[in-house]
Parts: sequence; C-alpha cells; structure tokens
Amino acid sequence: MAEEKVPGSQKCIAILWPSFLVAIVATGLFFSAFDPDDLYPFGNETGISRLGVYSIGFLAFWFVSAVSGVGTLYFAMTNCMRSRR
Amino acid sequence: MATSGGARNSDDQVEKSLYAKAEKIYPREVHGLFARMRVLGVLSLLGIYYIMPWIQWDGHQALLFDLPARKFHIFFITLWPQDFIYLAALLIVAGLLLFFVTALAGRVWCGYACPQTVWTEAFLWIERKVEGTRLQQQKLDAQPMNARKLRIKATKQFLWVTFAAWTGFTFVGYFTPILDLGSRLLEFRLGGWETFWVIFYGFATYGNAGFMREQVCKYMCPYARFQSAMFDKDTLIVSYIPNRGEPRGPRKRSADPKELQLGDCIDCTLCVQVCPTGIDIREGLQYECIACSACIDACDDVMGKMGYDKGLIKYTTEHEMKGGKTRLIRPRIVIYATVLLAIMALFAWSVMTRTPLGLDVIRDRNQLYRETSEGLIENVYILKILNMDNVAHTYTLKVSGIEGLRLHLDMPEIRVAGGGVMELPVRLQVEEGDLDMRSTEISFELVADGNSALTVVEEARFLGPK
Repeated sequence: MAEEKVPGSQKCIAILWPSFLVAIVATGLFFSAFDPDDLYPFGNETGISRLGVYSIGFLAFWFVSAVSGVGTLYFAMTNCMRSRR
Repeated sequence: MATSGGARNSDDQVEKSLYAKAEKIYPREVHGLFARMRVLGVLSLLGIYYIMPWIQWDGHQALLFDLPARKFHIFFITLWPQDFIYLAALLIVAGLLLFFVTALAGRVWCGYACPQTVWTEAFLWIERKVEGTRLQQQKLDAQPMNARKLRIKATKQFLWVTFAAWTGFTFVGYFTPILDLGSRLLEFRLGGWETFWVIFYGFATYGNAGFMREQVCKYMCPYARFQSAMFDKDTLIVSYIPNRGEPRGPRKRSADPKELQLGDCIDCTLCVQVCPTGIDIREGLQYECIACSACIDACDDVMGKMGYDKGLIKYTTEHEMKGGKTRLIRPRIVIYATVLLAIMALFAWSVMTRTPLGLDVIRDRNQLYRETSEGLIENVYILKILNMDNVAHTYTLKVSGIEGLRLHLDMPEIRVAGGGVMELPVRLQVEEGDLDMRSTEISFELVADGNSALTVVEEARFLGPK
C-alpha cells in the first residue's frame, strides 16, 4: 500500500463523494416520510420554507455521513500503517 | 474493464495509477461512425434535459418533482410522498436495465449516454471551438500568460460558466416550476435556497465536465468499478486485435508489411491521442476504458488510408477473438431479461391500478371516549382524506363494524379539490348496550360519488367502557 502518497484531493473525494450519494438517499427517504411543515425541532416551528428544510436536511445528512467517512478513512489508514511495521 | 483475460495491468500498476497525480488529457477530435453516434446521443440527451422542463401537460409542467408542494408530476400521473415506492421501483428498473445492457453490450452507457460523458463532450466542444485543435491547446497551455492566451482562456471560461449556470438553472427547474422560476430569475427575485442549488449544480457541472472529466470515471464512478461483474465472454468490448496488428511499426504506404515482417499496426498512436481517458487500447482490456470507440473511428480512418482492412480495433467479444462465435442468448441474458420484464410489468400494473385516493384515520388523543347527554358512547376521529386525482371529487363516507353505529359529520358534504387534502372531524356514537367489548374493530369506507372504483377502506378501533 502507498497510503502516504494518496493526494489530499483524492482523500477529499473519497470522503465527500460517497457521503453525498448516501445523503441523497437519506434525504429522499426521510422527507418522503416527514413533511417539513409537520416538523417542530426542539418544539418550535421552523419558519423556513420547505425547500429550505429539504436543503438543510440534505446538508446535515451529507455532513453526518462525511464525518463517518473521515472516521473510516482514519481507522483504515492507521491500521494499514500499523500492520506494515 | 478490469479482470478479463487480456488485462495486462497488475493490481500494483492499477494502484500506482490510482494514486498518481493526474495529468491533463487533451483528447484529439475524431470523426467517424461512432463519433457521429455519440454526437447524436449527446445532442438528443442534452436536448431532452434542457427542453423537458418547459413542456406543459394538462395545465402543469409535464415532468416536475415539485418539492415545495410535495407532489411529483410525471405527465398524466401525479405521485405523492406515499407513492415513494413507485419511484424506488423505477430506480430498480433503471438499475436492472443497466445490468442487462452491460451484459449484452458492455459499457455503451459510459460511451454514449452517461451524463458525465455527455457534458464532458459538450465542454470539450466549447474548448475546441475556442482554443482549437489538440495541438493548439497543448501549445497554448505551454505558453506563459500573455494577452492572447488570457483572452482565449477568458472566453472559454465565460462560455463554460454560462453553460454550467444554465444547466444549474434547468436542474432546479425540475424541482420547482420552471416558468415561475424563470420569471423570478429575470426580476432577480430567486429565493436563497434556489440560488444556492443553481450555483451548486452549476459548479458541479463545471467541475466535472470542465476539469475532472475522465477522473470521475476512474475514481468516483461506482458503476465503473463493478461493471466487470456483469461481463462474460460474449459481452461486446472494444479491443485491438494483437494477432493482426503485431509486431507494430511505422512503414511507408507503399511498403509490403510482410516483407518488413510487420503487422497491420503502423504505430501512429492516433488511438492513444483520441482516447478521452488517455489509455493505450493496444495494451488490452483496461478498467479505464469507457468503450467510447473513439479509437475505432481513428484506427479505421488510418487503415482506410493505408489501404488495409478496417477493424484492427473493433467491437468484438472474447469468444470471437479466440476464433469462436458470439452467443447472443445465454443464461445471464435470459435471467436479466426475465427479471427486468417481470418487474416492469409489475410496476406498470401497479401504477395503472393504483387508486388515487388516500385515507388516514387518526383517533382523538385527548379522550378515549365520552358519554353524550343522551347517554350514548361517542368516539372522535380526524379523517385525513387525500385526493390524489387531478380533478375534484365528492365522497360518501360509510362506517361499519358495530350494530347501530351512528355517524356524525360537521359538514354537509365531503368535497376535496384535485390534488387536495382535507382533514375531516368525525363523531361516532353508539348505545352502550350494543358494545360487547372495550375495543371494537370498525372500518371506514370512503367512496367517490359516481365512481365506485375510487374506494378506500381503512380500519380503526372504537373504544368504550366495557
């Protein structure tokens, strides 16, 4: 393995791209079950248009799955390095 | 297109190339049968993409995934969030179709129809119009910045950005009515999130088609990674015929290759120059190959000029290359086709027989039951009626399950507009003596007046003291 040589841009793609796809699916599933107008986060009305709630939902899903991707990449790479020593 | 017999790339080589810094590829323009087919594919697909949202159908946009209104219009069908299953089924059909086509004809999707290919072709076309041929582009990029280079680069960027922005606008037009969106754009009154998505999608188009190009196929595309699993020895592939071409080498047109002990390949490297992914097809099957067949066109042209037979690089199959015959019908094809047809038939049937009427029964949560002044036991429900049809209907509500059950509505008639939702409070009353149990199953039946096909039945529970 040549993990030290992996360019940063490819690491970014490896994290951002799969999480982007997952976020699309998650957003689709979530908002087909819940109407943004029926959501009361922390007991308050959002006061945001549906398109806005969808967008925030999508970005939040993207962020969450990207964080998981960072974790996966980190553990995978440190493991490989350890096993080589 | 990894793994199959001719592949020379070992895993190590693949890995090295995966992690190498990508160099810009300047694909040379190519003319020929397959190039014409690709232009046809690109033009018709781009045409569909940019024109589709402007087409109206029965008073609404023909294809509109109306997110703000939570309704999907697909010509004469209107789908609701409850119908999500149909969209999921449609995706499954699309996926299976891709499997089937891949097993039959290899990566034709990649070469002719993938949005990545289509938009890259469009961006390449703009680049060629502004910067000139492959050689002129390479020369220009090697130059230090000067007034002429700046002017050319600025023109290209302007055209790219404009095209990408229009693409982003069209994309948003699939999710929010485009006529309204367009008029608001002209008045600079686009909403914040609409603007965000226009820019987001425009930027993605610009980045993917202008810069990432073949790297999307190599590093980001999941299909490129698993498509070889659908391949067998009878799948169409683009391949160089080494038996005929080798040993390769330059020669004069008049020379007799047999005398020089050469194969038909004159080593002009045109096949490499036209390749959008920058590979040498003569090294055998490679996973980078998107089967665009630009190399076939280029090589056929050269073979014609040399007076040799065409088809030194051609569409073929592993069986054919080994001297056998390609079998069109084989178990893999039959299985894919059967599953595909079955799911498509099921999908069509369920869409056609779908009842465009929805009913949800929600019990009043404050009270299990109450006793009226006349001594009757009363339960209160909210009925949520969803008219998924495009026209208004008047409905008749019936309830059954308990002898002597009386229905009280607070409104004279139940009329719901096309595509509308109504919340209807309903009171049910029964004499205590008619109740056998604490909780009895009852059912609401909603029927559209004059159209008994529009019927929906929903179960609920009636609670009492016993």
